[in-house]
Amino acid sequence: GGSRRGWRRRRRRRPRRGRAGRAAAAWRGGARRGGGRPPRPAPPPPASRPPPPHAALPPQALTFTGKCRLRCLYGAVRLLGFAVASHQPGLPVFSPATHCALSLEALPAERPPRGLRAALSPLAEARVKVMARFSPECAVVLLEHLDTPVTRFLLSHPPLSRLFEPQEESSFTPEDAVLASVGIVKCSSERGLLVSESMLVALEELIQACCAEDEGVPVVLVCGPKNTGKSTFNRYLINLLLNRLPSIEYMECDIGQTEFTPPGCVSLSNVTEPILGPPFTHQQMPCKMVYYGQTSCEQDTERYLDVVKYVFSSYKKEVPLVINTMGWVKGEGLLLLIDIIRLLSPSHIVQMDVYDWKAMAPLTPEYVHLSPGLYTKGKQQAKCKQVGASEVENWRSSEGEGDASAPEYKLLYVHPEFPRAGIAGEARVHSSILRDMSILGYLGQLQSPDIGAVLPLHSLVPYQVPFSAVALRVIHSDVAPTNIMYAVNASWVGLCRIPDEIKCESEGPVLLTQTPVCDCLGFGIVRGVEMERKLYHILTPVPPENLRQVNCLLLGNISIPNCILVGQQGVEGEIPYVTSDYNYSILGSGKLKKKKHFKRREYAFECDYA
Amino acid sequence: MAGRAGLACRPGRPGSSPARKRLKPLRTVVAWRGRAEWDQVMVGLYCGDSRLQQEALDRVSAWKSRYGPKMPLAVDCTAELIRCKVLDSSGRLKSHELILSYGLALVRFVNLITERKQKMVSIPLRQLAKEVDIPIWVVDLRHELTHGKLPRLALCRKGCDVVLDWLRKTYWSRQLGNNLCEESEDEEQQGVEASAELDNDAWEIQTPQHEACQKHKEFHEKVRDVLISYKNEQFRVMQTVQSVSKSRELWSDSSSEVDWILAQIKDLMQENREAVAEALLSDGFLIPKMDCLKMLNIKYEANKELWQFKIPQTFYCFWQPLLTGLLSRSFTQILIEKMFVELKECSDSSELRPQFLINWISEMLTGIAKVNAGKKRQQHCNKQVSVKELFLRKVPLQWIRLTDSCLEAPCWATPHLLQLILTIMRPRLPRSSRKNLLYLASVYTEGGGPLSSPGISSDCSEQPIYTIESLQWRARQENQVKNQAQTVEKQDDVLERDDGVEEVEEEEEEEMVTETNPLEGLAHSGNLAAIAEKRAALQGSAWQITADEVQWKDFPLGKLPGQTDDPDGLMLDNYSMMSLLDQPVRDEWKPPSTNSAELNIPATGGLLWTQNDFHKIKSGLQLF
Repeated sequence: GGSRRGWRRRRRRRPRRGRAGRAAAAWRGGARRGGGRPPRPAPPPPASRPPPPHAALPPQALTFTGKCRLRCLYGAVRLLGFAVASHQPGLPVFSPATHCALSLEALPAERPPRGLRAALSPLAEARVKVMARFSPECAVVLLEHLDTPVTRFLLSHPPLSRLFEPQEESSFTPEDAVLASVGIVKCSSERGLLVSESMLVALEELIQACCAEDEGVPVVLVCGPKNTGKSTFNRYLINLLLNRLPSIEYMECDIGQTEFTPPGCVSLSNVTEPILGPPFTHQQMPCKMVYYGQTSCEQDTERYLDVVKYVFSSYKKEVPLVINTMGWVKGEGLLLLIDIIRLLSPSHIVQMDVYDWKAMAPLTPEYVHLSPGLYTKGKQQAKCKQVGASEVENWRSSEGEGDASAPEYKLLYVHPEFPRAGIAGEARVHSSILRDMSILGYLGQLQSPDIGAVLPLHSLVPYQVPFSAVALRVIHSDVAPTNIMYAVNASWVGLCRIPDEIKCESEGPVLLTQTPVCDCLGFGIVRGVEMERKLYHILTPVPPENLRQVNCLLLGNISIPNCILVGQQGVEGEIPYVTSDYNYSILGSGKLKKKKHFKRREYAFECDYA
Repeated sequence: MAGRAGLACRPGRPGSSPARKRLKPLRTVVAWRGRAEWDQVMVGLYCGDSRLQQEALDRVSAWKSRYGPKMPLAVDCTAELIRCKVLDSSGRLKSHELILSYGLALVRFVNLITERKQKMVSIPLRQLAKEVDIPIWVVDLRHELTHGKLPRLALCRKGCDVVLDWLRKTYWSRQLGNNLCEESEDEEQQGVEASAELDNDAWEIQTPQHEACQKHKEFHEKVRDVLISYKNEQFRVMQTVQSVSKSRELWSDSSSEVDWILAQIKDLMQENREAVAEALLSDGFLIPKMDCLKMLNIKYEANKELWQFKIPQTFYCFWQPLLTGLLSRSFTQILIEKMFVELKECSDSSELRPQFLINWISEMLTGIAKVNAGKKRQQHCNKQVSVKELFLRKVPLQWIRLTDSCLEAPCWATPHLLQLILTIMRPRLPRSSRKNLLYLASVYTEGGGPLSSPGISSDCSEQPIYTIESLQWRARQENQVKNQAQTVEKQDDVLERDDGVEEVEEEEEEEMVTETNPLEGLAHSGNLAAIAEKRAALQGSAWQITADEVQWKDFPLGKLPGQTDDPDGLMLDNYSMMSLLDQPVRDEWKPPSTNSAELNIPATGGLLWTQNDFHKIKSGLQLF
């Protein structure tokens, strides 16, 4: 065992400048020794691996909710896998109550300590105090109050105003008051990321593969049912990789919960900055993005595959790729996943599952080799499903990947060990709220960075574009063409670019007859439709140089968050699409609910006798 | 990754102060732009003319796009059934094909509606259907359709009509209803059902053109009949106690008889609000005849100032239960506007009519002011009996329109009424505009009679003649001296209190937001440079930044300057279709063959189609 002392933290509040609080802290790095607990018995089927080189004692950690800007002044700390050393500039860090809390861990100093005095120079008079408590194994961090236009915008919507506050009222100890002045609150370590043994094994393997020079560039596909921690695993993995590599590519195939874009997109992003917060804090323009237009692909799996293929084709295979997939792994979802595996041919598959393969069969190369997909056939399958499979057949034959050769990849099994893992409906926040938060995060980019207050969306000056210059398509439902502006007005649209030239015979709008698979350059809100001058008015953060390429508007079933429409202040008259007269208690006023499996009365009686 | 569920942003979990949240009505997002669009679709779907029905279905297709998976079940089911009827009347389908389409629409209706009522342990369909008053034979029809022999077309048609009627009564007529809807749901439902016989055929308008007027007259008579029954009931109550003050009390505790009458009128209102308002304002109801006043023991004073903009109390109590029940947001708007129109036509006469119109408007505005200010219902301490308010919840009206109506009916009382409107109006006009409007109104109406109400006289009679110069002078004064503005404000407050309007406490704060928003200037200057930069970057592109000086902050998303509430305002009369190369061709929209451009020319002039207009147009379009 290693020496494990109570962690020492010394902080001193700096005289405040304005509202921005600042706190500096020194940690003692947890001693890391070899050995540790023996690993759990590995699950039977997949590649079982020797225990990791260091299953170490947990180092000193501070798990917190809130947001702040973090700089490491001396030594090193680690945040969701990412090592922050003293040469790094200040990092914005977001740990809202909606997500797995972040933990700040002290790392043992790996390099000879450089001049402590110089390192602490930003601290001015607090330096003396910090130095008094200093030991060479310490890490000293500077935490500063953080307030960005995006967070300001998000917090301005009443349902989200307490986003960064802890759920339970914690009693403030003097220490906590210092943290609170910065904007963070300590919480219990169980709220943070719980790394299971199997996760450690998988991560170790992946890091080795990505950093090895000889084997070619790894493509890691992460899959598993809903709510098993795929997103958090991805963030952790990417951060760990960014410790060693300058950049990572990330491909988002989970259209319901996207990491870098608003929902409903398949995208390929180049990641150079660590991910230290949930999606709404790091919305960024991907290298390639297609707007699928729905949050699940059940209704049109064929176009989904087209879209995935289109986005994947722009991956240059120069840096490692992490692919995130949907949590739909039952029935057709599993078949679709097998198609995707065949299509993307990853070098590693991380399969996350809680119930020891009950929800999902282990996706061993042999299994995938033999199993039919939704559009592709397995090795011994005589027939393949013919539902419009021509497209898929095309790419398969053109790329010469017949089903003769078995896929070659390593299957890594991850067994998450956090409470309620994998239980549907037990997620901390409803998925639609997370989607709304992504959209709000995206729209937050419209806020001007110079102004300290939030400008309501409807007060901003929109762009305008003639009906005849941009084609229009409603993706998810059939709308009568004469009524299409009723669907478009005050809606969320993908701003896209199609290669075709927009031809129109009249001044009226140009309606596409098919949904194109095309580049999406960003999103906007149709602020209004001017019928007389035949103009769309659109609010969007897409920069003008990209906007001028946009010649197609795609409308999907992702809508503007209700809080945006309902919360419009200071407008004249009634707000369109907002009413307080709609009575949900009247029968038939609600939406179609997904049918739950009702118990039959007979079963209930049987249970009684049992 | 551990942690407990639940956070402030979960829906339904109140944020900071749950108590306050409960008071506010829940604001939700719907697919229609406003009430007018909803009414238009409802009337269109149920009108019986398949071309208008098709247009309504087209609009519902846009609703479906907006709602996505959140589309209300009842709207979906109605649209599916109407679609069958439209197909049926087109004559393009054979009976077997029709049975299949009707069949699926009916099966979906029964299943989807009853599934909402299912509990964990499944309840037999027949029982559920009984609970919600779906006829058992419709459930049996579903059973036959899914498990048995295909029924005959006639039965399917009948099933479709019965179900559509059920949907109208259960959903369309009650939804977006009025004040009492949430409070007494069961009562409401009973009322709707009971009065259903009354207008069973009201929805099927099959009359030739020249009978449209007749129809309107009949409807008017129907409303009058119900109103007369209300009057009779109130008089009956009065006779039982033989004392006016006693009967006031009895009137205020509404009886089941009154509730029943109320339900009837509400049902009539679903069909035509304007006509109900018209009837209410015809002689003998809200505008009494002399004999009525005598019966209520009210002494008529020819001197108009003596009533001080109040309706005689007994008369107020007589009508209060009915009005409180009817005055939903939209009906209030309609009624007050109608009152102004009536006032315009009779402002010169010195009879009861203008007097009562002015006083009713004043009473209603005062009531709105109270309830909008969030004041609890209070008892008037200077009166022996507690007087109930006309409004139970906030009524945000289209204030600009009301201001217009008020100004279009100039009379001696205009300054007073205008001042009431300007005080209640949210968002407020700038202070200077309010002042100027008031001054102009009093200048214009000065000949109309002595302004003896205490509020106006102190302000205006000192300076009897205003010119443009004096307004300009005043404006300059206000800009230069801030202190003066404050004293005017104080004066303002005094006036409003005198008029019995409770001043809103948070008014000061609101002023800050609407008038002296510190952000505005900043946003403007800070953004100008950025906007210029963007404009330069877009040079030569189809994308532009609007050059017009538009105060965007005044317009909510989905509404542009100059856009009206015309429900047909976004209809397209021409468009072009474009197919793409190198893109997969899949199921696409096929425009129905009946869909020609002439049919879809948007209504010009931007006038809102009332249901009344609709009936006229429909009867005009009758083809067979």
